[in-house]
Amino acid sequence: MPEHLVFFLMVAVFVVLAMAAKFPIGIALALSALAGSLAAGQGLSLRHLIEGSFGYFDTILIILTATLFIKVLKASGILDSVTALLLKTFYKSRVMLLLAVMLILMFPGMLTGSSTAAILSSGPLIAPVMMKMGLPRLKTGALVCMGGILGMIAPPVNILIMIMGGGVDMPYVGLTLPLLFIIVPLAVLTPLVIGYKDLRVIGRDEMLAILPQTLFPKYGFRLYIPFFVLAFFMVGPGLFPGTVPDIGIPGVFVAASLAGIFCGRSFNFFRVTQKAVEEAMPIMAILAGVGMFIQVMTLTGARGWTVMSILSLPSFLLYLGIALSMPAFGGVSTFGSASILGIPFMLALINKNALLTSSALSTITGLGDLVPPAAISGRFAAQVIGEPHFFKILRHCLLPALLQLAAGIGMLLLAPLLDKFI
Amino acid sequence: MKEIKGNKLSAAFFFLLTLTVCFFSGRSFLSLHQPEAIFPGPGLTEQKMLSSYFPALKNTPGDTAVYFFRGKEEGGRVLILGGTHPNEPAGLVTAVLLIENIRLERGSLFIVPRANASGFSHSDPQEGNPQRFAVPTPSGQRLFRLGSRLTNPVHQWPDPAIYVNPAGQKLSGMEARNLNRCYPGRAKGNLTEKVAWAVMELIRRENIDLGIDLHESAPEYPVINAIVFHENSSELAALALMDIQAQGFDIRLEASPANLRGLSHREWGDHAGVKAILLETPNASHGRLKGKPSSSLIVEGKDKFYTRASRLGWLFVPYGEEGIPLSLRVARHLAGVEALLASLEALEPEKSVICGNIPPPHQVIEKGLGPFLHPPD
Repeated sequence: MPEHLVFFLMVAVFVVLAMAAKFPIGIALALSALAGSLAAGQGLSLRHLIEGSFGYFDTILIILTATLFIKVLKASGILDSVTALLLKTFYKSRVMLLLAVMLILMFPGMLTGSSTAAILSSGPLIAPVMMKMGLPRLKTGALVCMGGILGMIAPPVNILIMIMGGGVDMPYVGLTLPLLFIIVPLAVLTPLVIGYKDLRVIGRDEMLAILPQTLFPKYGFRLYIPFFVLAFFMVGPGLFPGTVPDIGIPGVFVAASLAGIFCGRSFNFFRVTQKAVEEAMPIMAILAGVGMFIQVMTLTGARGWTVMSILSLPSFLLYLGIALSMPAFGGVSTFGSASILGIPFMLALINKNALLTSSALSTITGLGDLVPPAAISGRFAAQVIGEPHFFKILRHCLLPALLQLAAGIGMLLLAPLLDKFI
Repeated sequence: MKEIKGNKLSAAFFFLLTLTVCFFSGRSFLSLHQPEAIFPGPGLTEQKMLSSYFPALKNTPGDTAVYFFRGKEEGGRVLILGGTHPNEPAGLVTAVLLIENIRLERGSLFIVPRANASGFSHSDPQEGNPQRFAVPTPSGQRLFRLGSRLTNPVHQWPDPAIYVNPAGQKLSGMEARNLNRCYPGRAKGNLTEKVAWAVMELIRRENIDLGIDLHESAPEYPVINAIVFHENSSELAALALMDIQAQGFDIRLEASPANLRGLSHREWGDHAGVKAILLETPNASHGRLKGKPSSSLIVEGKDKFYTRASRLGWLFVPYGEEGIPLSLRVARHLAGVEALLASLEALEPEKSVICGNIPPPHQVIEKGLGPFLHPPD
């Protein structure tokens, strides 16, 4: 069967199973991969299905451990205490609150290059504050989601650029300025677009009335130890290489979760772990399914067909191709999009300043985190605010996402001009 | 999303299904841990392990065989590395061809065919590659493993979020498992850094004069059909270039960028003063535009998507319908090795390495790899 027919068959099987038969997305993806393999004459290809799912092994572990971390914060009462502290600090000014919140949301992503880490570590702290200040729940989810994506792109760590740079021998140096140039305006505009209209200015009395119960009087600074552990292991290896061990992001979340056992009110850690596994299971299954889907796409030549179809667009459609294909492929894997499409596009734009090109492409690619079926950031943000349907959050991400897309394409188009200043 | 309600029966079913899948896929994965046989020719002087230069590597999955050839006369000392990236098969096959054929007249030659031994024990997820490729010989097919660019995560895990390599360059975390980003290595580092350190120890202790690292790159990658050279080897590389071009191969020079750190062509030269060269040939099977991955894609190198990409001007090498077969890629490497040895002799006669019985590149192209490979077991 020709590659394109295999691809259409896989998509069709997925749509039928996921939409019509209401199968869980992860299982629908796995079965559509299996159908593709069978149709292409590759048989069951067990090895490929398992190998493909392992492409997301680390991400799956991050999700699991970060979910555990959130559960520990909630169970120990630390989350409420931190929410109370943030409310007390920022309740007076809408703009200041929104900007401070955006910075806090972005921070873990800036250090780790992972939107997932940002959303799952900062999101649970920020979401209750914003909702208590009047921001609707879905908009809160959108804010958390966009904060995570911008954090992933912001310097100092942008893994998307590292991946693209690796493919064209561009060292990861000199990117701070171009990245700040594109990210700072977005980091200011995005929270204002999402939250300024709905956020209420409240007085001290009202603030005190909505303040959740804090355990600070009982436990003092012990409450913040999990965050110190988190920050220590996230930042330490970069600041003191060789001295502070790099235990990987899943290890960092596990260490911070274990610290949480001793820093707030007591709880059953085993039970909390079970809850975390239960909650994280659907998204872990989706990632495993996406991995299988990509592996079978590659195995059957459908990936090559897809990439070549995009690259075959006439040159005047190149920017349109970038704007559509990079986020679209990100719907399967954002890092995959950076590697599979980002590198060829970097090469296509090789006559422009590579620092500007890669910054712009990473800004566009980051939007893939919003695109189904994976829609990683959308799903996690939904998980943070307890919303079962992540599509409802994506609706509120649309305008900031279009701004981000325009900024990325704008930077690509204006690269020759910007080159003189940056 | 539909919630599936389970019961004991469904749990038992899925448990058994999982066990079955694990058994069959696990058996397939484990088969890659068995190295393919290499049959050294009579010219071999000694075979040792890389850990003999760095004992901490002993009994680890990073340890790998070093094939040593010594000539009758003293001369220069050359190191050839294949399999730094186990998904670039021309490096491994060129090294095997040399090991199974050459006789050294003068000087010393050290060949490491599987530089990242751990990388040969797994495949890259989501690349859909075959685990092995088959090279036809007159007595049957020789099977070689097609591994991964990176060390097996079973042997080195987890990846850091950001990898700061021993040369101080910041890279994405997975590059911590890329041998050609880990030079000059760390004696107390991770497994890949230890392998890099051991290679540096080999270079230092054996007083290597010239190091050659054999690679392949995707046809859409700009550094291709190239001799990448450290600035201390510019004259050597330029001489070799003329020689290779005179043999009819299209090839160009690429200077090793001073700010791209951790690569063999940079750190071997900077840290051990050795002349450092990296050779690249075009390989569609690890490109992003490839069609259906298969043994024949690797060996015959025909790919309709690359042919189309070539027509559209997306590639840095011409890619016709005839493809770029493994025999041509290996022949290019052989021509490169021959030319570099000849250039070393021309520039520093006292360091010359004279090597006989190298499979002639044009015969390799004409007859294929089979006649120059030992028959399969």
